Amino acid sequence: MLTLQTVTRASFFTRLDFRPKLVLMAVLTLTAFLWESVALNGALALGVILAALAAGVSGRYIRRVLGLMAPFYVILLLTQGFWAGDMLRARTGQTVLTPLLTLPAHWWLIGGGQMSLEGVLYALNLIAKTLTMTLVIPLGVFTTDANAMIVGLVKARIPYKLAFIFSSTLRFFPLLFAEAQTILEAQRLRGLAFEDLGLLKRVSLYAKIAVPLILNALVKAQTLEIVLLSRAFSGSPERTYLHESRLAAWDYALLVSSALFFIAVLVAYFGWGLGRMGGPLANF
Amino acid sequence: MASIIAALKQASYAYPHTDRFALKDISLDIHQGEFLGLIGPTGAGKTTFCLALNGIVPQFYGGRFFGHVTVAGLDTLDHPISALARHVGVVFEDPETQLVAHSVENEIAFALENLKIPREEMLPRISRALEAVRLEGTEKRHPQELSGGQKQRLAIAAALALRPDLLILDEPTSQLDPVGAQEVFATVRELNRTLGIAVVMTGHAAEELAEYADRVALLVGGKLVKVGPPDAVYGDVAQLETCDVRPPQVARTFYLINRLRGAESPVPVRLAEGMRRLREGPAIEIAGCYAKCVETHSDTSASLLSVKDLHHVYPDGTRALRGISLDIRAGEYVLIVGQNGAGKSSLVKHFLKLLTPTEGCVQVDGRDMREWTVGALARRIGYVAQNPDHQIFNATVWDEVAFALKNRGWRKAEVEGRVIETLSALNLLDARDRHPLALPRGDRARVVIAAVLALHPDVLIFDEPTTGQDYRGARAILDITRDLHRQGKTIIVITHHLHLMPDYAERVLVMGAGVLLLDAPIRQAYHAVDVLRSTYLTPPQAVLLAQALGNDVPLLTPEEVAACVTDKNVKRET
Amino acid sequence: MNTSRQSEDLPQSELPAGEEREVRRLDRVAIDGAPIAYVLVLAAVVAALAFIPIPISVVIGSGKNFPMSQSIYPLVGWLLGPVAGAVADGIGALVGVIVAPHTTTSAPATVLGAVLGGFAAGAMTVKERRAWWWAPLAGVFVIFYGLYAGRAVFINGAAARDVLLGSFINWSALLLFVLPTRVWFARLLAERDLKRIGIGLFGGTWIVAGLSHLATGTIVYAILNWASEYWLVFAPVAPLEHLVRCLVGAIIGTGAIAGLRATGLIKPTYAAY
Repeated sequence: MLTLQTVTRASFFTRLDFRPKLVLMAVLTLTAFLWESVALNGALALGVILAALAAGVSGRYIRRVLGLMAPFYVILLLTQGFWAGDMLRARTGQTVLTPLLTLPAHWWLIGGGQMSLEGVLYALNLIAKTLTMTLVIPLGVFTTDANAMIVGLVKARIPYKLAFIFSSTLRFFPLLFAEAQTILEAQRLRGLAFEDLGLLKRVSLYAKIAVPLILNALVKAQTLEIVLLSRAFSGSPERTYLHESRLAAWDYALLVSSALFFIAVLVAYFGWGLGRMGGPLANF
Repeated sequence: MASIIAALKQASYAYPHTDRFALKDISLDIHQGEFLGLIGPTGAGKTTFCLALNGIVPQFYGGRFFGHVTVAGLDTLDHPISALARHVGVVFEDPETQLVAHSVENEIAFALENLKIPREEMLPRISRALEAVRLEGTEKRHPQELSGGQKQRLAIAAALALRPDLLILDEPTSQLDPVGAQEVFATVRELNRTLGIAVVMTGHAAEELAEYADRVALLVGGKLVKVGPPDAVYGDVAQLETCDVRPPQVARTFYLINRLRGAESPVPVRLAEGMRRLREGPAIEIAGCYAKCVETHSDTSASLLSVKDLHHVYPDGTRALRGISLDIRAGEYVLIVGQNGAGKSSLVKHFLKLLTPTEGCVQVDGRDMREWTVGALARRIGYVAQNPDHQIFNATVWDEVAFALKNRGWRKAEVEGRVIETLSALNLLDARDRHPLALPRGDRARVVIAAVLALHPDVLIFDEPTTGQDYRGARAILDITRDLHRQGKTIIVITHHLHLMPDYAERVLVMGAGVLLLDAPIRQAYHAVDVLRSTYLTPPQAVLLAQALGNDVPLLTPEEVAACVTDKNVKRET
Repeated sequence: MNTSRQSEDLPQSELPAGEEREVRRLDRVAIDGAPIAYVLVLAAVVAALAFIPIPISVVIGSGKNFPMSQSIYPLVGWLLGPVAGAVADGIGALVGVIVAPHTTTSAPATVLGAVLGGFAAGAMTVKERRAWWWAPLAGVFVIFYGLYAGRAVFINGAAARDVLLGSFINWSALLLFVLPTRVWFARLLAERDLKRIGIGLFGGTWIVAGLSHLATGTIVYAILNWASEYWLVFAPVAPLEHLVRCLVGAIIGTGAIAGLRATGLIKPTYAAY
């Protein structure tokens, strides 16, 4: 079933409140965004991977993500490896790049292209950066039970109506996805010879599957409204919760250390240029 | 007399923008501990009646309201819905839409949280509610992991946690398979008996309501036509049939017996009583009574669909089909039955190439599936899926029927000719310019059938065509299948509604846990009661009544049983 | 609470026996005039369609293949209005990225694009007291474009001409949003004729999806800093991809609006159809 892949194993992370996890996710994402150093971003990505594994995210899941992202990484390596020159020169002032590979001059269109060490390192930095940004989600979200997430959001002063919509979307979208598959099947079974159709025709037929999906969803919405009212739902934040969300010592510890880490990152970045392109770590 | 939990006094209601009353002059008291069945054809006002009991009618919809409805002493117009929710629990038809949380315990807690019940009080209420519906131990599970029947029981538990005085169930079993429906009926009956909760249940399950309800109310066109014990309401078969309401088969059988005999004895509405009456009645000489129904099929025409040792394993490891072999010949009308998960849809999906065999082979017209494309196959085999609303892609009935033809590159005139022919055949020509979604559900089902028929397929597969339809709607769709069969088409129907099929199907495939348990002519299959029960199907009451007459009477319908019984008696009299 | 006691009476013979009561209508649980249930089911549709890719591999535009959900961000805004549309699009996109984090380069960028898309769509069509909403929003998008193109030219040293060609779908959308074309397309959505609605949806989707892409693209570009040559690769590919996105948006939107009108479901306060 297409749904949130909550981890099955209890760990330090699963016991934490959702709020410090949100802060941690934000800090890690912003840090990865800020840093332009392959060494720092590499270390950060590695840290996030290890933390995710420790938190119970399966190695198989991480391998699958890497597999799915691989084509994108190859594009990054090729484009930045061959073309990052102008950008690196503009941003670092470095005029001469270290050649790694030169394509034979007689090759059509791409002949003479040169892959630089600096470009490849920059691509690796981007790969580590995007990996961190991607994997903070399993780290923070997959380790949190959906119900705890909602209480955490409300405690974090997110309006209850929004938290409720988020929760219900998470609940209902797998049903709609399954419905979309049924609709797609029904359409294929109308005897349309997709293989004989032109590209635009094919795309427009394919698009039509969203029509019954949307209309059925809105018809169901009316029933849902009645269900909610029958169960005394008023959208008001004044309600009690089955699950509690209380910050424990470890939660405070994570909140404080996340904040301190981010302050240190900012001071080092703006004070000493650590993590800045062309900073003390140069191309690393 | 028990105290009154809910009272309607001259209650009338019209939805906004209409001058037709959905409820008209209804006066009725519902007593503590009572089980009230509410029956009537589609559009009779059953759902409106239910929603009037918790204030959603009229507070949510608006419109005009006359008279008074009180529940637990609270007037439903003077108190907010949330206050009424403490006294009235409601369970709706669709198990999916009414479960909103991510775990069983949170589902039950949802209403309690909304009513600001303290956490400490919630926990014992949750366990008690789960215990009452026998779902203990599922607290942490995701509602999606539960079966259809369990989902409805969870919805009941969620209502129970509020400790309501009145539990309303609006068609709670119509989307369930027979096992799920049995679970829900058993749960509700137990709650009613042990906890003394008053129950109002609507639905088309006449046999079960006759069995369980203390009183039955017949609603037609928004008016309360009759209220009384099941014997009085279901016993008046003539009246029910004028109102398009299906009586229990046992009632219809004895009604017909009365009619054939010109007698007026009371009609039993529960199976056990009917069986007793038959057993206690004069012994019946059955040999001559039913020779004509023991037909034998010796069809030697070539196989149209052929399945040999078919196995299918889904990617998650579920073994959906285990060694199925069968042949379906041109012109047959085949019924496929079995509990949910028996493999019915998996089998049919192989005919459409939506699934490929894990092992074994499937052939159409003697050609292996690998030689067919989905498109080519769909022109040979038409498939009408369960929910018509999943199959409507266009803004007019005309475009819907022309959809596939146009996309196959037909010329305009050809398309027009074919669409007119199909729409006329299904009596939809007048609706050609309307949006399919603006039509009633029964008509929408016909639009989808028309769209499939426009391709002139030789084989038509109908997946649960009668789910969500009332008796009349279901018959209308099945009549179409019969017409098509008479035109020489091969018809395959998947359904749980066994009682509807004797007038239509010839052959039955009984499936259970991925295995073909029985492949036999309908008379033989319906009387293989043990096989049916092994896959959680209950044979129609007429079959069981026939068995009460003796083992070798393969009767299927109330008409046949009545004729058989009276034939004998007539003979004796002469 | 609304109260109603309609004065137009039925013929005396058809009047019910009971006394007529004053009906107080409950205020619906809503987000800016859109019932909360509508908002959440459309959020769920957006999330579900995030897993259904358009079956053509034009790719590259934003670094990944694009899902059908991008085509309905604008429609959701037109069905629900600016605020509820932004909520539904944003939460739908958020659920999509947390369930499958690998489908995006930057989850915050994807969610921001969806939120601004839904909001911009609604802001195109609102009238009267909200008729000015588009103007500050246009200002925000101008800033986004400044950051996007400015970073490319002034920080990363890309040629201005290449950047202009590569960001055609974004600046054309911004231009059409600022010019009266915004109002023309919006008006077409309320017409009866389905062909005209389709044109409105196509043009509107060009604008809104282009602006949504601009917001997402600005952040993604700040992360990835594509090389200058990359802008040239975008130049022919991105408009083609955008064209498909708009076509899909128009087809889905026409069907959905025709269906909604036929079923007579309650219209949210700021619905545009």
